[in-house]
Amino acid sequence: MEVNPHREFQELLERRSIVICVGSGGVGKTTTSAILALQAALAGQKVLVLTIDPARRLANSLGIDAIGSQRQQVPLERFAELRLSPRGELWAMMLDMKESFDRLVERDAPDEESMRAILDNPFYQYFSTSLAGSQEYAASERIYEFAQEEYFDLIVLDTPPTTHALDFLEAPRRLADAVSSRALQWMYRPTILAGKPGRGILSVGTSYVMRTLGKFTGGELLQDLTTFLKAFSVLFEGFEARARAVQTLLTGDTGFVVVTAPDQLSVDEALYFHEQLDQETLHVDGFVVNRVHPRWVMDAEKIDPGELRQALEELSPATSAESLSQRLLMNALDFERRSNQDARSIGTMKESLPETMPIVEVPYFNQDIHSLGGLDQARREIFSGFT
Amino acid sequence: MLFSGKGGVGKTVMSSSFALSCARRGEKTLLMQLNVKDKAASLFGTEEIDTEIREVRENLYAVNVSPKAAMKEYALMVLKIKLIYRAVFENRVVSSFLKVIPGLNELVMLGKAYYHVGEEDEEGQPVWDKVVVDAPATGHGIFLLKIPSVITGLIGSGLMFEEARRIVELLQDPKRTALALVTLAEEMPVNETLMLSDVVNKEIGLHVACVIANGLYPRLFTDEEIQWMDELGPSVADPVGGLVEAARFRRTRGAMQERYLQKLRDDGSWPVVEMPFLFFEELETAVLEELASLLERTLKSTEARSVG
Repeated sequence: MEVNPHREFQELLERRSIVICVGSGGVGKTTTSAILALQAALAGQKVLVLTIDPARRLANSLGIDAIGSQRQQVPLERFAELRLSPRGELWAMMLDMKESFDRLVERDAPDEESMRAILDNPFYQYFSTSLAGSQEYAASERIYEFAQEEYFDLIVLDTPPTTHALDFLEAPRRLADAVSSRALQWMYRPTILAGKPGRGILSVGTSYVMRTLGKFTGGELLQDLTTFLKAFSVLFEGFEARARAVQTLLTGDTGFVVVTAPDQLSVDEALYFHEQLDQETLHVDGFVVNRVHPRWVMDAEKIDPGELRQALEELSPATSAESLSQRLLMNALDFERRSNQDARSIGTMKESLPETMPIVEVPYFNQDIHSLGGLDQARREIFSGFT
Repeated sequence: MLFSGKGGVGKTVMSSSFALSCARRGEKTLLMQLNVKDKAASLFGTEEIDTEIREVRENLYAVNVSPKAAMKEYALMVLKIKLIYRAVFENRVVSSFLKVIPGLNELVMLGKAYYHVGEEDEEGQPVWDKVVVDAPATGHGIFLLKIPSVITGLIGSGLMFEEARRIVELLQDPKRTALALVTLAEEMPVNETLMLSDVVNKEIGLHVACVIANGLYPRLFTDEEIQWMDELGPSVADPVGGLVEAARFRRTRGAMQERYLQKLRDDGSWPVVEMPFLFFEELETAVLEELASLLERTLKSTEARSVG
């Protein structure tokens, strides 16, 4: 049966409670997230779009000054200009990683003292936004909170650009490993490192291992880091259970949308994302290909330059038809090559994906999308026939 | 030579073209990708480039650095004995601990770049004339470049400290290190470039050698012609109708690019290298060759202009 990708996209918004847009940098993830959210809001859902980028123009286009770290509702009057009347609600929020993480510390620290110990630690200050997946962890925690709240019918998440799609999902696990009692215990009680007897070089002794490692890192670093991880581990009482819940949420009711540009390198990367998500049996619900060159002219090389010149002369006797016709043809050929290259890489993409995978294309517009009108224009492409 | 910029602006293609142009001039060049899905192989038409340095062209070598392999190389260099390396670094607990030392991955990757910059052969001659690093996009790029100074700020001894201190010196020395920021002449990439330039300058002390404005549409039509086309309206029959639409598209995008190019020139203190968009049908090695020649010429003329 022929798949209608536009219908599939419409249905995924109804089916899912969380949609996560993944893809490499600069392919239009933030814009695509906003469009998906807009469509769902128009259809009557209460939607929250969580973005990572401080995309000011996008905020302005939604009629809010800036997307802040507090959720804000997009005013409905703005839609009237486009003769749209959303039956649902559209909310937007920027995920400030540092702030999300601070919040986590404040919420979970058992007392004021341990909270300060963490917030004032130089390691925390430098690395709270980059410590082994802490960003992604903070983001998934936040989504979990919203999902628990049950106010929103749909949450659309715009993820940070990364070449590793799974960073987001592995974050809770990796962070758990990082502060796991085993690694920490070793820092307090180095004897466990010696391992079981008879394991050759391991029995040389922990102090040697420690000394060698210390030579690399410097003694202070090991000390400071231990203090930090120890303070930090307090936060993760019950952490494993929480991580499991987040994991369940992301593997259950969550759909992934891979966003890409139509050039070869981007498509290769998009397929790589799909492969990784697929291996983890996560649901990839569809692909959005942005900035696909339109085909204004079919077979420009078949156009007869003489006839073209004549047609131009008839339209405007004043122009220098000879030179203009040449340049018009040259330009059309330029864009035809681009459009061929887009078609080719999208073709490769389709061959590598299951036949049922919905793929929608959004044309390359003559200006970048930074108004509600622009968002709506792209929305009509993705949900063509369902707007 | 380091390349960074917003995602999707053509960093990899630009750094690869630059490396190719150096190699063609006869400089022995090493192109480093930092722990990414390898893209250089498809550009040079070679087998996948992994953690082993391999020759992709005459004078041109490429590698995809992984933190794990770089750490091993480095540790072996210091420890000399493989058995000790394995006892210490491949110990399960140690390796899970190493994973969480913040910034360690970034440091060892930069450390590898540092090592190759100073690498000498048996006769004491430099092995590499040029080391080209395809650095990550803005956010992670800043983090990577900041790591050495963050580490020297946090700790004061040990091999890691020494290593970080030497890398900071290398990064801050404009004679040895230059950063090229690649951008498109569009709103978001230009704003991000200005921000990135500011941060690397003030917070890392790194010299931005130039900004490469990539993908500029060469201008084909005069304003009068475009005005005439605008007035034609949508009712014109094909093929003229379609040709005119395509021409107006190029002009609208082109005009926008000119505005953002001007903003780059006005708001930045670095030379802006203008790279035209190539309307290729397939990104193959021939395109890279052409880009390498173009880049070399444009860099020269930009340099002449900024000196003059």
